[in-house]
Amino acid sequence: MPDSADSKPWLSHYPKGIPAQVDLGKYSSLKDLLTITCGRFGDLPAFESMGQVMTYRQLEVASRSFAAWLQKIALLQRGDRVALAMPNLLQYPVALFGVLRAGLVVVNTNPQYTPREFEHQLNDSGAKAIVVLENFASTLAEVVGSTSVRTVITTQVGDLLPPVRRWLTNAVVKHVKKLVPPWQMADTVAFNSVLATGRRNEFDDVALAHGDLAFLQYTGGTTGAAKGAMLSHGNMVANVLQVAAWTGRDLQDGVETLVIPLPLYHVFALTGALAFFSKGSRAVLIANPRDMRGFLKTLKSSHSTAIIGVNTLFRALLDAPGFAALDWSRLKLAVAGGMAVQQVVAQRWKDATGIPLVEGYGMTETAPVAIANPIDIAQWTGQIGLPLPSTEAAILDEDGRPVTVGGLGEIALRGPQVMQGYWQHPEETAAAFTTDGWLRTGDIGVMDEQGRFRITDRKKDMIVVSGFKVFPNEIEDVLALHAGVLEAAAIGVADERTGEAVKVLVVRRDARLTEAELLAHCRQHLTGYKVPRSVEFRNEALPKTAIGKVLRRALRDEDKAARDRLGNGAAA
Amino acid sequence: MRTKPPETGWETAPQPRVFSEMTSGPQPARLVTLRDGRQVTVRAGVGSDAAEIVQAFDRLSADSKRTRFMAHKKRLNPAALERALHPVPGRAFVFVATVPASDGIDIVGAAQYVRANDDDARVCEFAITVAEDWRGSGLAVHLLASLVRRSRRDGYGTMEGLVIAGNGPMLALARKLRFKVAPVPTDATLMRVKRQLVQEGRPRRAQMVHDASPS
Repeated sequence: MPDSADSKPWLSHYPKGIPAQVDLGKYSSLKDLLTITCGRFGDLPAFESMGQVMTYRQLEVASRSFAAWLQKIALLQRGDRVALAMPNLLQYPVALFGVLRAGLVVVNTNPQYTPREFEHQLNDSGAKAIVVLENFASTLAEVVGSTSVRTVITTQVGDLLPPVRRWLTNAVVKHVKKLVPPWQMADTVAFNSVLATGRRNEFDDVALAHGDLAFLQYTGGTTGAAKGAMLSHGNMVANVLQVAAWTGRDLQDGVETLVIPLPLYHVFALTGALAFFSKGSRAVLIANPRDMRGFLKTLKSSHSTAIIGVNTLFRALLDAPGFAALDWSRLKLAVAGGMAVQQVVAQRWKDATGIPLVEGYGMTETAPVAIANPIDIAQWTGQIGLPLPSTEAAILDEDGRPVTVGGLGEIALRGPQVMQGYWQHPEETAAAFTTDGWLRTGDIGVMDEQGRFRITDRKKDMIVVSGFKVFPNEIEDVLALHAGVLEAAAIGVADERTGEAVKVLVVRRDARLTEAELLAHCRQHLTGYKVPRSVEFRNEALPKTAIGKVLRRALRDEDKAARDRLGNGAAA
Repeated sequence: MRTKPPETGWETAPQPRVFSEMTSGPQPARLVTLRDGRQVTVRAGVGSDAAEIVQAFDRLSADSKRTRFMAHKKRLNPAALERALHPVPGRAFVFVATVPASDGIDIVGAAQYVRANDDDARVCEFAITVAEDWRGSGLAVHLLASLVRRSRRDGYGTMEGLVIAGNGPMLALARKLRFKVAPVPTDATLMRVKRQLVQEGRPRRAQMVHDASPS
């Protein structure tokens, strides 16, 4: 489609200097991006964790050793999948680039997964190897035998710190804080042994192009288990270039410092980090943002010029004692994504730092950013913004036809960042796209005459908890495993801190079933953010239509009405 | 592969006619040849189907159960099943699709309507379920087309249903059978599918019988 005011009205409202298109040929792959960027910014700091800096040059060397080991010792073949299950530590970028430059595919994995979740993701992706932080090895050990994984690389928190600090950190984590539950797996390899052995092996350069698969990035769905969105090198390169172009006018090469408290296994943090990486920035990794004291200490010393987060995180920061004393004078950009930003949080952030929260929009399937507010906005807009360069966005009706400007419909996206499909799910892939190649986002929205988009509702039955998607079907399936449950529905309810929270309504088969028992059952099978915040037992069946379909919206409305009544009561 | 039009071309089953309680005559059992060559018997559900329906429900995947009931359901409600198989004439009807099995029959699909609202005898709500390994065979088209005809005979003017917005195959089926598809204004996760069964101002014979009946 040619670029025109009719087809892309947003182009005439781009801030000055933002191009309509990005040059996708700049990097042929993420490997290309790594080598070019490391060549340009060699001795500048690339990543920093727990006060330890890794330069671009050091990253290039370490990731090459890692890649060589995967090729020569683990004998992985091009296209094989490797899972990465760790928080934001220096080991993550080393493993990430090592896997990618060896021609392998990264399967980002939440290290806090339960055994059930690990098992599904490892088997579905067919991962042959995994890199796991030792703190989570006991969970993996429960299921690794029934997965396709043959090579397990374990790492400890302090592995890439200098020798004395490494020993001290690892000892404290293990023996003082007791954060490493006992585990046992046969034939595991330590991360640092991999680097040492890899260094002695020759790395065979692999020619990679845009069409090669780079990531299986798992995302849930309204039916079935989580699916892997296939993101190619081209998808990721495109989104890195698009984000870099969007921020290019205001951020300078080789001088920025980005603080990343969101986990890099989340695609929003990953692409954000890579976009800043391509500009020679220093990325300060926060492994545990819940440790607010440590987080504030790092913020104080890092002199950050940019921060990436979700509404929940910005709110927690604003509420933290000590936040007001931080110096934000160098801050140029604060990016929020993953979930809707609350106006009150946006206003408090602007008042405290002088910089607005810039909200972006996207999904795992779009690598992820597709639409964003311009970064020079004076105030939070309440909109998701304008489509990025080289991106088409439209509002489609039920038949897949564009609606007139101002009309409501489903937001649909096309562009070089849009995924290749769902891994081994051709039917789900077909259902996700229109015949014209638009990706259906499942979000209902509206576009104004200037090409600005706003979300009004959600077509997918989904709960967003602090930027993480939770699908009711998964929660209900887990509840169903409990013998005491007869009927269950999981719904999203408003939550000040996390945006939405999971609430479950349960009709018991066994009247003795307690909330504590049910939540303990959920914790066995679900990662923390998916575990219901509240349980309501119902003696009668859930509200249904005449033919027996549960009216989920009625359940949400009932909950809201009950909360409103409580709120009014409290106010009176 | 050539497919039969949904509302014609059914073969009459070479087996006893099955009758159920109804307002406007018996419902003959029909042997239907599906697109893939498999054959099913489509007939009214009867009380003795209860155990087979429970088994068919248990064979469904969790996703299929959720698609039908829009929440997790571990087992069918016995009272609701009883009501479905012994309906008050004119208020509900269920078709089942059966195939021979070692223990008699297996039920591989069902389509049901019930009056949507106690105060309005003209509108019915429908639901349809087809076993996973019978999807794509055209069975759902046959079941829904049968249900449309049946509800029209029973005097209804409108048939409607709620469908999960992401349930593309069901929405396509509804469109194929001339249902109008529209979003539910208060819930974007759902679509309402609706079909007028009779033209305005032209009540069906059965409806006239209802209207004339003493209450």
